[in-house]
Amino acid sequence: MKILTLIRQVPDAEARVRVTNGAVDLEGATLVMDGMDEYGVEQALRLREGGADAEIVALAVGPRRNEDALRTALAMGADRAVHVETDAVLDPISLSKVVARIAQTEGIDLVLVGGQQADWDSQALGAATAERLGWPQLTWTNGLQVQDGALTGRHDVDEGNETFTATLPAVVTTQQGLNEPRYPTLPNIMKAKKKELRKDTLDQYGVTPLVRVVGAEIQARARMNRVIDGKDPQAAAAQLLELLRNEAKVIA
Amino acid sequence: MLDLLSVRDLLTSEERAVWDATRAFTTGELLPHAQGWWDAGGAPRDLMRRFGEQGLLGPTLPPEYGGAGLSAVAYGCAMYELERADSGLRSLASVQGSLVMGPIHRFGSEDLRRRWLPGLASGELVGCFGLTEEGGSDPAAMRTTARADGAHYVLTGSKVWITNSPLADVAVVWARVEGEDRVGGFVVPTDTPGFSAPKIDGKLSLRASVTGEIVLRECRVPAANRLEGARGLGAPLSCLTDARYGISWGALGSLETSYGTAREFALGRVTFGQPIASRQLVQEKLARMLAEHSKGLLLSWRLGVLKDEGRLSPPQVSLAKRDNVRAALNGARAAREVLGASGITTAYPVMRHLLNLETVDTYEGTHDIHTLVLGREATGINAFG
Repeated sequence: MKILTLIRQVPDAEARVRVTNGAVDLEGATLVMDGMDEYGVEQALRLREGGADAEIVALAVGPRRNEDALRTALAMGADRAVHVETDAVLDPISLSKVVARIAQTEGIDLVLVGGQQADWDSQALGAATAERLGWPQLTWTNGLQVQDGALTGRHDVDEGNETFTATLPAVVTTQQGLNEPRYPTLPNIMKAKKKELRKDTLDQYGVTPLVRVVGAEIQARARMNRVIDGKDPQAAAAQLLELLRNEAKVIA
Repeated sequence: MLDLLSVRDLLTSEERAVWDATRAFTTGELLPHAQGWWDAGGAPRDLMRRFGEQGLLGPTLPPEYGGAGLSAVAYGCAMYELERADSGLRSLASVQGSLVMGPIHRFGSEDLRRRWLPGLASGELVGCFGLTEEGGSDPAAMRTTARADGAHYVLTGSKVWITNSPLADVAVVWARVEGEDRVGGFVVPTDTPGFSAPKIDGKLSLRASVTGEIVLRECRVPAANRLEGARGLGAPLSCLTDARYGISWGALGSLETSYGTAREFALGRVTFGQPIASRQLVQEKLARMLAEHSKGLLLSWRLGVLKDEGRLSPPQVSLAKRDNVRAALNGARAAREVLGASGITTAYPVMRHLLNLETVDTYEGTHDIHTLVLGREATGINAFG
């Protein structure tokens, strides 16, 4: 089988981003593979290590710097990568057109995408891709296996979780708890240099963005800068409770 | 990642990947435990295997010996990250890589390479490096001897301040070879009769790594264990140049931790109605740390490029080791001061880094010795002895 994992690149959790001229300015911020997509790559590797005869293709659609995130996926163990290089910012529906097209031309059986798409938080990409392909979509997945050409897995619902089976091909969105992604090892980072990284242009897919971002602001909240003295733990706990109850009003 | 001058843009894609992967490893696997290992007086033996799995031991060596063929710059990025957690943890990796695997690879026979390097790279084996004696900074005063005896050498003498010696499986020992009047290197399995490595107790610095002596009493090793390519003191000194290069990066990782801790604390700590970060005296400390870190990173990167081009000279390494470590030490002291009383507890990492850096400032060539190397570079006059 062939597995396609979509890679997005986002600012590192510790990065401090700025807004310049109404747009998020990533200059100087460290960009890493979206954590949700790490779960996707890791799960593809685990399916293969669990016995599935799988080729794993990593896909990124975005600017040149995305290459670093693809190299990370290759270093984790993906077999090859496709980079649709563009400086255009694609909304999830436009992006799904590229993903669906590649899934078709590459003969993909399983598409793994991040659940939340950390920089849009739309949760629409998986659904839109599945819709275009006419494939089943399974969301918020936190357990996944492939047996006899079918998927079995588990996902969260409001009241708890459900287990499911589905036929392949399918689209699966990941979430925290699906697995514990591995760190790429230094030898594998060097070996990944030799793996194929194909460059496509957005023109090849005939896609233009439907939504354009025209402004951005960072929400800043002033901190209260209050430090509770911890010398007497019981008094500190009592003071914290008092503040949470009467000042922040977050507990009754 | 603290990188005011966007040094990251100067790295190759692989170098950035090595940095990111090691950063994630440090954040996930080292930072949560660093203080506990310090308290316990040593990291668990298994950590060396984790380093090995991650490829952190001797990563610049070629793959056939268990290395990853990394550039010097990528190696520096990895050392930066390990020392962001703790100088003792970085020491574990740099001793094994630069001081044990390095000389076996550079000066050893093919048999020695094949026999020892893969096990050292995977962390199955632990190595140590025996050069320093009571004479400290003056290795030419070495008293340990090696006497040829048929198909063996017999080693006699003692070494001090040897990282990892009490748990090592193998030691690279430097000794004056009788009849040659020069220093030679020997691979000594630690189970050789006559070899012992008593632990040095009472350390208030680098507590995550174990330090000991090496005592050699008529220790017989096969002549084939001699590092044939190492003729004279220049051989072990070249290993130290490699290790010092890594230290120049590592010190900046430690400085990032001191700076980050002090900055966060200063923004949250209120006195006289304002966060102390708004005070000029506190800002001066943070600005100094940031400035030294930024300049040091450019310096280490440039050193790495020169090393990859085979153009690195010892005085250049002395400059970087001397200045980056002293900047990190001063930064840790300043951070401790910003934290006030909180700075002395193990709830914050700065005092641990400060105590570690007291060692880093004087090991692998003291600050003063490196100053004299630069003085000799400037004047052509040797002021050592």
